[in-house]
Amino acid sequence: MNRNTIMTSKFKWQVTLVWLALMIGFIWFIAKFDLDMAYVWEKLPFLAGLHLSPDGFIQGVPLTIYVCVIAMLASVILGLLAALGRLSLNPLAYGISTFYTSFFRGTPLLLQVLLIYQGLPQIGPIPTAIPSGIIALALCYGAYLSEIFRSAIVAIPRGQWEAAMALGLKKHQTFLKVILPQSMKVAIPPGMAMFIAMLKDSSLVSVMGLWEIMFLAQSYGRSAYRYMEMLITAAVIYWILSFLLELIQARLEKVFHGGKTR
Amino acid sequence: MQYKTLQTLLLLAGSVTISHASVAGETLDRIKERGELIGVMDQAYPPYSFLNDKNEMDGMDVDLTKEFARRLGVKAKIETPAWEVTTAGNWRGRWDICICSMTPDAQRARSLDFVTHYYSSPAVLVTSVNGNPLTKLADMEGKKIAAQQGGSYERYLNQTLKMEGYGAKPVTYPFKAVQVMPYGSEDLEYQDLSLGAGKRIDGLVSNLVTANERISKMPGKFKIVGEPLFEDPNWVAIDKGDKEWRDTVVKIFDDMRKDGTLQKITVKWIGTDISR
Repeated sequence: MNRNTIMTSKFKWQVTLVWLALMIGFIWFIAKFDLDMAYVWEKLPFLAGLHLSPDGFIQGVPLTIYVCVIAMLASVILGLLAALGRLSLNPLAYGISTFYTSFFRGTPLLLQVLLIYQGLPQIGPIPTAIPSGIIALALCYGAYLSEIFRSAIVAIPRGQWEAAMALGLKKHQTFLKVILPQSMKVAIPPGMAMFIAMLKDSSLVSVMGLWEIMFLAQSYGRSAYRYMEMLITAAVIYWILSFLLELIQARLEKVFHGGKTR
Repeated sequence: MQYKTLQTLLLLAGSVTISHASVAGETLDRIKERGELIGVMDQAYPPYSFLNDKNEMDGMDVDLTKEFARRLGVKAKIETPAWEVTTAGNWRGRWDICICSMTPDAQRARSLDFVTHYYSSPAVLVTSVNGNPLTKLADMEGKKIAAQQGGSYERYLNQTLKMEGYGAKPVTYPFKAVQVMPYGSEDLEYQDLSLGAGKRIDGLVSNLVTANERISKMPGKFKIVGEPLFEDPNWVAIDKGDKEWRDTVVKIFDDMRKDGTLQKITVKWIGTDISR
């Protein structure tokens, strides 16, 4: 029994049914809260970012996406560099890399955000809120990704290195052309899980007063005493965004598996 | 010559790194140059500051900040970082003024300068109508009482609140030790209290104005117990060390008191004049 044979239309249809049943259960649970739906519909356009904030900047969903996309790109680069450092025999690279991953995985993200936002001004530059948030998210998630990348690189059998070298490829060529593409296949699912986590952790940047999804939800909720309404609305928005990331993950897996599903 | 340059550079570097306090008048110069006064306040502390239906910051503190900026001849811009970030001080020119319902105390005065009193708000004990409600202040003993984390109500419940020297009466504690329940937001406190006293918490400490708002928005849920616990003086705060800016702020607020603008704005939002 492999995935190809069970992914029949019957199977898919049954899965859809299970989803629907669970969805109805969730909606029933939420309905028990006796929520003020009128308020939800009134505030949804703001949370979705269809309106600019009073100072003419993006708010809500677009701001969250903006912060996350840049932080994701930066964290992939950081993670890859840290993974290479961890695999290198150079004591400096190894030391920096292990210290970096240890610190950024071992301390709360909120503290990291505040260290950058409140701490950097003590030694010079005064970063504004958005760069501070992006830097904190990128550093934190880069540390997590580095371990994912490292394990993915190590997961590729030694024989691949030897075969490539035997064909006359240089070490860096082997890494870039043979090992990295194969290890990507291994790294995509856990890497994407990290991005989904980052999406929701981005709400922490609201401590600097950025009007992202969670900030608006909390502000509206507190101002009108409709806290649950707004938090549930924010939850649904985050879920939809996470679902989009899952779709991207499915596409990427197809690409790196060369059309072959195992 | 080279030695001189080096000396100047070192001096410059020193002045940049060591000067913790702003130079006199620096704040005012910055505001004039920007054409904008940046006021900082809590994102959701109705009716003092909150996001209104038009998605703009609104409330008593917002109106006062705008009026203050108008008198300086600049526009007002409102920023809303987390309360802990604001109270940490060390604003480094990010923000100019905090007309933001802040209660001074010795601890906060180490990181911010408190300039002038602008209103008082009585702190009250709120309990629920259902469950085992508290009936008098002394009932708090051993009970679970919620208060906003890091706020003056939490310190009051821990009996460590010191408000001497800011025009406040010394605080008295008509109860023995209570179980303090620090919360991140008042919403969660009220939500937990609405389950009935004795479920998660028995009561909470909040200010009279917001407590009355909650009672009118959710009728039949909450009630206020006894007399106010103490009067919370609310002062205008600025970053430490700019004397000239401090004098400017005092002068503008004195003018607003004299011509009745301060009273008018408090009456507009609260219904009574709380500016004394």
